[in-house]
Amino acid sequence: MWALSDQTILKDSVEAYNKDHPDKKITLQLFANDDYKQKLRVAFGAGQAPDIFFNWGGGALNDYVKAGKVAEITSADVDHGRFTPSVLKTATFDGKVYGVPCNGLAPVVLYYNKKVLGQAGLQPPKTWDDLLAAVKTLKAEGVTPLSLAANSKWPTLMYTEYLLDRIGGAQVFARIAAGDASGWNDPAVTKATKALQDLVDAGAFGDSASSMNYDQGASTALVYTGKAAMTLMGTWEYANFVKAAPDFVSGGDLGYTVFPTIPGGVGDPGAIVGNPSNFLSVNAAAGDKAVAMTYLKEYVLNAAQVDAYLKAGSVPPVNGLEAELAALTTADRPWLEFVYGLVKKAPTFQLSWDQDLPSEQADPLLTNIDKSFLKQITPEEFGQNMSKAA
Amino acid sequence: MSPSTADGRRRMTGAVMAAPALVLFVLFGVVPLAGVLVLSLADWDGLGPLGWAGLVNWRDVLADGATWDALWLTVKVMALSWLIQTPIALALGLFQAPRGRGRAFFAVLWVLPLLLSAVAIGLTWQALLDPSFGIGSAPGLGRLARPLLGSPELALYVVIFVIAWQFVPFHALLYQAGIRQIPATLYEAAALDGAGRKDRFLRITLPQLRYTIVTSSTLMLVGSLTYFDLIFVLSGGTGGPGTATRVLPLAMYITGFQSHDMGAASVIATVLVVTGLVLSLITTRLSGFTRMDSRQEGL
Amino acid sequence: MTTVRALHRAVSGGAALVWTAIVVVPIYWVVVTSLRERAEFVTSSPLALPGDPTLANYQTVLSGGFAGYLLNSVIVTAATVAVTIVVSLMAAFVIVRHGSRWSRLYFRLFLLGLAIPLQAVIIPVYLLIIRMSLYDSLLAIILPSAAFAVPVTVMILVSFLRDVPRSLFEAMVVDGATEWRLLLDLAAPLARPALITVAVYDGLQVWNGFLFPLILTQSDERAVLPLALTLYRGQFGIDVPATMAAVVLSTLPMLAVFVLARRHLVAGLTAGFSK
Repeated sequence: MWALSDQTILKDSVEAYNKDHPDKKITLQLFANDDYKQKLRVAFGAGQAPDIFFNWGGGALNDYVKAGKVAEITSADVDHGRFTPSVLKTATFDGKVYGVPCNGLAPVVLYYNKKVLGQAGLQPPKTWDDLLAAVKTLKAEGVTPLSLAANSKWPTLMYTEYLLDRIGGAQVFARIAAGDASGWNDPAVTKATKALQDLVDAGAFGDSASSMNYDQGASTALVYTGKAAMTLMGTWEYANFVKAAPDFVSGGDLGYTVFPTIPGGVGDPGAIVGNPSNFLSVNAAAGDKAVAMTYLKEYVLNAAQVDAYLKAGSVPPVNGLEAELAALTTADRPWLEFVYGLVKKAPTFQLSWDQDLPSEQADPLLTNIDKSFLKQITPEEFGQNMSKAA
Repeated sequence: MSPSTADGRRRMTGAVMAAPALVLFVLFGVVPLAGVLVLSLADWDGLGPLGWAGLVNWRDVLADGATWDALWLTVKVMALSWLIQTPIALALGLFQAPRGRGRAFFAVLWVLPLLLSAVAIGLTWQALLDPSFGIGSAPGLGRLARPLLGSPELALYVVIFVIAWQFVPFHALLYQAGIRQIPATLYEAAALDGAGRKDRFLRITLPQLRYTIVTSSTLMLVGSLTYFDLIFVLSGGTGGPGTATRVLPLAMYITGFQSHDMGAASVIATVLVVTGLVLSLITTRLSGFTRMDSRQEGL
Repeated sequence: MTTVRALHRAVSGGAALVWTAIVVVPIYWVVVTSLRERAEFVTSSPLALPGDPTLANYQTVLSGGFAGYLLNSVIVTAATVAVTIVVSLMAAFVIVRHGSRWSRLYFRLFLLGLAIPLQAVIIPVYLLIIRMSLYDSLLAIILPSAAFAVPVTVMILVSFLRDVPRSLFEAMVVDGATEWRLLLDLAAPLARPALITVAVYDGLQVWNGFLFPLILTQSDERAVLPLALTLYRGQFGIDVPATMAAVVLSTLPMLAVFVLARRHLVAGLTAGFSK
């Protein structure tokens, strides 16, 4: 089995399985995030793929499914009903499930530094106009309104994802993801791209965004050092704040909220984007599928593991966790309830586009997002370039 | 022992000695080179079976403006690297060459970048040039507190600067070694003729260094086709901002291993090989690559 | 005349200082940053000495499997250099000793090889390594790395051995020495400076190599140092001081080699490259 090296809870569950099944052990190999996807692809190409593999669902998983590399996980293998439907959808293709959620929900939310907003006399922005007004005020205060690691490109994409969802509704991208390239020319795409450029023009991201690489942590550090007011990022950023600046979080200075609504937008203001969850899938050529299925059924997100995730500060996509959450005594409880509530109320949970699209479109997407952020291309050109690349 | 059997044995031994290098190089150099050509005609996503694509990849890649941009960036990196590194390396070499404690001290400091891997250098400069927490926040260096690596206009030049930082020490060593080989008698004779510093440099040092210049230049030019690691790290693996630093090797990697289009990636690889061959052909033609191939016509 | 010379000295001394600053300041920054506490990094002035120097970052790196990565790098580098030197010395010897059409063709092949960028053939090499069942082994890095070091090594050794007077070879032949004896007792000792140079040059390339390990290995147990540096960054998340500690640690072995072999390196460069 392969997974990412930060998945310690997953590691514990494999150890638990191995303890119970000393005759049929699972060996776990852990990888760093950066090139895991490339390694997995290469390993499949080399015929050396693991029996169980960690993935993000979406178009990248579908690549493997279409190549006949992934085994279906039927409801006889694993009870589908336990998981949040909007999440399971990410690993469902043609009505068949190919992955089991295996860790916490990771929607993208807007984090803010309460002190910085307070000093500027601001409330966390609820609407787009709030946000634009806040940008103006914060700039006057000499604070970067929104910290963004644009050098990594994918953080910029999060804005476009939310903007398109709010402006045109979830169905615009759903059409694109279904393979209709002309969807990129939808006026809502142009509007969303334009809105991001407006934000750039307003100076919302300061001067340094284009130089910041996410892995370097500067975009996180700007927020907890008070040099920036807000940042849009996945739920994993919470853990980063806790790790890098524990006092900042325990002192109650970290705030979080949903992405603002947009006047005139037809999208549901409760819709979210991000990574619904990570998944474990089974290699179609696995030596012993029964072993894999037993592990997935009995050890992945079982009661003990759900508990471990909650204690570690992330909420897994399992139905009916309210009681467990309410019973938590850790300092993370409000955060976890926020995330769980957010996902439960969300009519749609759009997977990050770079994961949802077939992998050959991920690079053109990120490149064009970046070019549009840098204003090297117009919003119209963005749509045209993307429909050509698809 | 008759001469003919001795000769035959000599030839046999020669063949045995020549074989390992040949096998190694053919297996991992020549065969893959042919493989690139074959793959450039294939349709392969790295997962499924190989399909025949004919010239489709070629048509697509050559019609794609991004390929030409990448080629142009590569040429730019190559030319500017040479223009920047050669004079600096020569000057440093001149400074280091005379023996002496002070100069040796400088020489030791200057060689340090050579010891860092490209990845280490990339990580270092990326963090160093961070506008918020990098060197720009040091007193007096505020001018560096701007998005250097994030600016589509500047990023490439920053990359070229970091490349120079990495490779100048090596070339300075080459020049130092070359300069130390120039016989002192040449300078003594020139001094008798009353030649000044400038004359001595132009009439003795430079001509005497011609082989060093050729060697150093060839290594720089051909080497610049392979600047992958450093740019990969500096741009976070994307060749960005936008595509401002996406040189050919990076374009190939992204096409092949991120977009999983091995056919198109192989077309780019072929372009890279052809560029390399043309380049070394030109440099060897222009200069007669050092003495050893002076006996051979061509190449 | 003396004022002109003084001026020259001032200018060249000044320029030397400027370059020294360009070289030393980043390295100084790496070292001081690696000694900073993580919290201090975001608040302190980047070039100031750490208020409270700590070795905790080094501990983080060392407990993150550094020894294993180092060992992999050492094995890969030593094996590659050894293979390259042995096969290239034999090849260069043959090229110099035999004036036949074949040996000229042979040499020309390597000269051509100089122009093949290693990046360009990575996809077929990757396929080849899979076919040979070497994927994700250290040998998967060693063999292609050696193959790509052979051309430049042969070229340098040939240019060096060409200077060995033919009479030396002939004298030994008359004494009944075999070709192997000539290679081991004459060519190899004479070529020592050049061998050291190419060993250091090839060694540096392999030690710092990134693309082959990136593509041809996958598991943590096979990761070499440059790859580990990028892994570390992922693992430490957002910890610049720890990353810089990893940079320092990954450089120390090369620094040690350099301190030991500096004289040879310069002498070898003189002998190998500059004629």
